[in-house]
Amino acid sequence: MVTDPGSRVVEPYVETDNSVEARKAVSDGFIGIHNVTSNRFWQFAALFGIMFVLGIVGFVMRLGAGFDDKGAWGYYIAVFAFLMTTSSAAPMVAIAPRIANSHWRRPISRAAEIWALAGCLNLLLYIPLIWLLPSLENGRRSLWFYGQQEGVPAYSPHIWATLAILGLILLGLALVWLSSLPDFAVLRDHGEGWRKKWAGRLALGWRGTSAQWNWQYHRMGVVGAFYFMMLVFVHFFISVEFLMVHVPGWIDSLYPITHAHNALQAGVATMMLTMFFLRQFGGYKEYIGLDQFWGLGKLLLALSLLWFWFWFSSFNVFWYGKKPSEQAVLELLVKGPYLYLFITIFILVFILPWFTMIWNPVRRSVWGPPILAISVLIGTLLDRVRLYVGAWDVAGKSSMMEDMMYMKMSEVPTKIPTPQIADIFVIVGFIGGSILVFMLATRLIPAVNIWEQKEMLLYKAEVQFHRTKVMVMGKSR
Amino acid sequence: MAKRSVLGLYTEEDSAADALDNLREAGFEEGEYEILTGVPYPEGTFGEAEPEHKLYRWPLIGAICGFTIALLITAGTELAYPLITGGKPILSIPAMAIIMYEGSMLGAILFTIIGIIFESRLPRIFMGAYSEKITEGHIGVTVTTDETRTDAAETALNKAGIDGEIIRGWE
Repeated sequence: MVTDPGSRVVEPYVETDNSVEARKAVSDGFIGIHNVTSNRFWQFAALFGIMFVLGIVGFVMRLGAGFDDKGAWGYYIAVFAFLMTTSSAAPMVAIAPRIANSHWRRPISRAAEIWALAGCLNLLLYIPLIWLLPSLENGRRSLWFYGQQEGVPAYSPHIWATLAILGLILLGLALVWLSSLPDFAVLRDHGEGWRKKWAGRLALGWRGTSAQWNWQYHRMGVVGAFYFMMLVFVHFFISVEFLMVHVPGWIDSLYPITHAHNALQAGVATMMLTMFFLRQFGGYKEYIGLDQFWGLGKLLLALSLLWFWFWFSSFNVFWYGKKPSEQAVLELLVKGPYLYLFITIFILVFILPWFTMIWNPVRRSVWGPPILAISVLIGTLLDRVRLYVGAWDVAGKSSMMEDMMYMKMSEVPTKIPTPQIADIFVIVGFIGGSILVFMLATRLIPAVNIWEQKEMLLYKAEVQFHRTKVMVMGKSR
Repeated sequence: MAKRSVLGLYTEEDSAADALDNLREAGFEEGEYEILTGVPYPEGTFGEAEPEHKLYRWPLIGAICGFTIALLITAGTELAYPLITGGKPILSIPAMAIIMYEGSMLGAILFTIIGIIFESRLPRIFMGAYSEKITEGHIGVTVTTDETRTDAAETALNKAGIDGEIIRGWE
């Protein structure tokens, strides 16, 4: 303690209270929130449950219709791509800032990781696509040197894409489990009922030794880095094997990374909405605040600006290249039947976030970024419909084309296929199903990281800085 | 001889650090005592030795195995069917890159998961001396040693001013 010239007593350094009582209060606070399942939760769960049942009905209807009419599967694949773009990308919001050792992301990391569990639902959606994807024998353009190099199996895309998606899901499960281990131990020791029982099983005898903390920290870093690498790779596969190769003449080396970028943007938007609902309805108002919305809002703005950069870079090459096949691709995806859809997407995913998030009152608010997140998510869904429905519409008619390498302007479909009832069920049902999986998972896994919140007590201090006080945040390593 | 474990609980970090000093003075080795906490304290907070891990070996070995298998698959195929395409060499890297990347990734992922299970020594069926107060915020110092030395361990732990009673358990 020091005395300033005016004889005022000034506290130069005030650490956060890190007593046993403070740590217990943090644990008790979170367990208290976690143990409560409100009626509103069950009302929402019932709604999403009904949506998911419809999704299963649509799934069965779509399977029952068979795989011969490939054009009919466009909406189904669009939903699969949308979920891979949103729920499977949301864990990146936990991974990237954690690697950067940032503190603002602590209250939202767990929720982002829980989205990885919805990846299991994406796997269910993916299984029929293995049968739908034609073998390389159909003569389409391919990454696989098929036909030029003997010995390349005609089912290479099926084998490698499946392994990549399985790898991503496995990593997602490992990430959630590793992150939740210490919290499972908290629930094992202080939880109630079925949560205590299951947390005890999943904690696997975690005691919190220095060695256990050490390997948990390093494992999360490694698994997170692999998740990122695999996510980009999976998007490379999805965008090439399930999209570009079905449109003769669509040759764009930039598009796979555009697809991965779209996933990062939509993943951030997914987490923005998740944060908003956890804050408003989940009981975490005290923990999820302006810092989190502001931090993620800046990322959303940057990624929305990048959306334009990626789109324009590809568009420019096709626009100036002007080969007949490139003009046909632009006619299909931008200027032709999907023109109005494209304009809507352009506004929702780029124009709206850009012109609103540049203003501080919007970006630095709790309500602004979630509204823009809705805009980005709707725009992304429409974008997936535009691309995948368009591409599979062409794939369904490709056998009638003269050449699988070049599409003529006269071969470009003139209207958007109308979604069938099965498609609507699948779109509504699997989006609802993913949210249901997330909601149910939060009944066992705390939606906010208890151990990381307690860890914050070690690193936060308030310091007198001349005539004001500033917050000093420490870093462990 | 059967191993026994004893646990002392502390409310202050300094008391736990004193307990480790006392244990060292009483002749206990590094591997015989451990700090148990509900939060990850910075390494060395209690004067304990920094834990060693072999984490990076697992993904590295996995990636090497995956890369090697992918290289053998792709190069083997190309050598088995040596057809020159577009004037490119028989062993052309671009044709092999995707599978080699994915092979390395899958190998690294698989070995990392195996490493997690193996190195974590989980599941731990017998918890030994443990208290639920640790996940509440207390700091535990546990000593796992021969039955004959548990009294010395308890004395060392008590000297640092434990909160409550010594907790005993079997390993």
